[in-house]
Amino acid sequence: MKTYGTEPGKPEPVQVGISELVVSEGDDTLKSYGLGSCLAVALYDPDSGIGGLAHVMLPDGDAAENSDVKPGKYADTAIRALLRRMVENGASYTDVEAKIAGGSDMFEFESFGDGVGQRNVDAATAELEKLGVPVIDQDVGGKHGRTVEFTPGSGKLIVRTANGEHGVTEL
Amino acid sequence: MKLDVNALGTFYRMAREGAGLAAGRLTKMTGVETQVGVTKLNFMRGREINHDFEDGAEKVGVRVALSGGLDGHSVVVFDRKSALRIVEMLIAESGVEEFDEMSRSAATEVGQVMNSGFIDGWADVLETVIDVSTPTFIEGTTAEPFFGDIEGAPGDDDLALLFQSHIEAVGTEIGFSHYLFPERDSMAALLEQIRSSDGIEYDKLDGFDRMAEQGAEEVARTATTLTGIETHVEIRQLNFVSLEAIPAAVADERLVGVAFEFEGTPSGYLLFLFDEASAHQIVDAMVPMEVDEEGDGFGEMGESAIKELGNIMASGFLDGWANVLDTTIDHSPPEFIHDIGAAVVDPIIIQLGETQEFAFVFDTQVVADGREFDCEIYAIPDERDLERALNDLDVDRIEETPTTANFEDVE
Repeated sequence: MKTYGTEPGKPEPVQVGISELVVSEGDDTLKSYGLGSCLAVALYDPDSGIGGLAHVMLPDGDAAENSDVKPGKYADTAIRALLRRMVENGASYTDVEAKIAGGSDMFEFESFGDGVGQRNVDAATAELEKLGVPVIDQDVGGKHGRTVEFTPGSGKLIVRTANGEHGVTEL
Repeated sequence: MKLDVNALGTFYRMAREGAGLAAGRLTKMTGVETQVGVTKLNFMRGREINHDFEDGAEKVGVRVALSGGLDGHSVVVFDRKSALRIVEMLIAESGVEEFDEMSRSAATEVGQVMNSGFIDGWADVLETVIDVSTPTFIEGTTAEPFFGDIEGAPGDDDLALLFQSHIEAVGTEIGFSHYLFPERDSMAALLEQIRSSDGIEYDKLDGFDRMAEQGAEEVARTATTLTGIETHVEIRQLNFVSLEAIPAAVADERLVGVAFEFEGTPSGYLLFLFDEASAHQIVDAMVPMEVDEEGDGFGEMGESAIKELGNIMASGFLDGWANVLDTTIDHSPPEFIHDIGAAVVDPIIIQLGETQEFAFVFDTQVVADGREFDCEIYAIPDERDLERALNDLDVDRIEETPTTANFEDVE
């Protein structure tokens, strides 16, 4: 299994917490730690190297009151906010590609219905399709947590899991 | 005094706002990049505050009294070492090891700027003026010199509302905590002003929390009985936090645990989380034979031992609640988890997030002396159910409800 240690002198990755979204470019790395049913949405423009990562908590922002204050909290509003900020920074809308990871369903609680993770995956997929952004790769579902690290410049999304079974995946 | 989720939410935002302002000012003064850690709105009893504070480290603090829009006290507390490092940055001198007149006044100035940052955050949101007294510099290792002489400071058994924030300088060991003790009357008046629903009687929350304390004791007793490891309740607090802050507060490592959903008034979720070393210790104690440590590391036997322990602890915990609320609370079968801490908690906050923005979290830590047994318990009720349950609560009943614990300590 390949390991990715931190290299000396390399800048610390920028942490993207729950409900947050960050747009960056080049070799900067954006990191979301410990995703369970939350979903990481990574968007990038391969030509300009501009991209962003959102750590989404809920599916539907259009139905929520505070999605204008916290667009990163919801799949639909987070994707639109990411795209807008990327384009403002010089990305070309039509070239943007997406990778998503997370959306596990670790519990089979009755109150969870069909699964809180799956709801996030479905919402993000639908919104990306609506906006015409192709999903290039994804690592979603299952019953395990994930930590992701995204580099907008290369479009590389590294997904780590806590158990040896799934290890490290590069999207 | 009546609490209301909207009003508490406003308070929470004020506390975060204040922490942001304070962090920004620290950066301006020292040139060091800062970040705001967890902000919490706690309901804690006097003895728990003292206990929380007493980790053996020497501390220095800068305290001011507040009046005007809000009465109370605001205290910025540094580890002594952090304070000395900050003073070194300010007076551009290295090797400062004692607080002489100059370093003391530099530290006081920093503390004062921080306090003002927090208070300005509050004043902004409340659109009012809060007057701040001359700062007092305090050194000590216990809570006594910092909070002991505050008029209206909570007695050992009094449930106090307290705001806590943590700010740290990025890439350094420097960090500090901020405590805001509002005076009860002043807080009650503010709550009354901001409240937008019927809300919850503070005395009922207090009474319920006292029962939750019995439930926590019951969990520790159960753990001791089942594992033979002598355990006790180390920390117990009731927090009011934004949902997003809950996973961030869970240990940044792979944890082992058992999760439940519970159904009744209130309904919600209950989590028992152990670090891996503690989980192995528990399995060793409960399973007489050698456990197959292949695969996930605990084997089927280990997993079922932890689930069994969790199941009994959950019943003890929830029965305490159900007794005082005079209701039934059923819980689901245990779900075993072995994963990154935050990933275990986020499905729960997502589910609750569909209908609420904040949550009351009953946070309990059960530990053993001299042995690895660290169990973190999170009980997160559905907010609407909790409000309903508390409104139905007969406060007199709390005194009458028989529990296995004795009440002498509580009265």
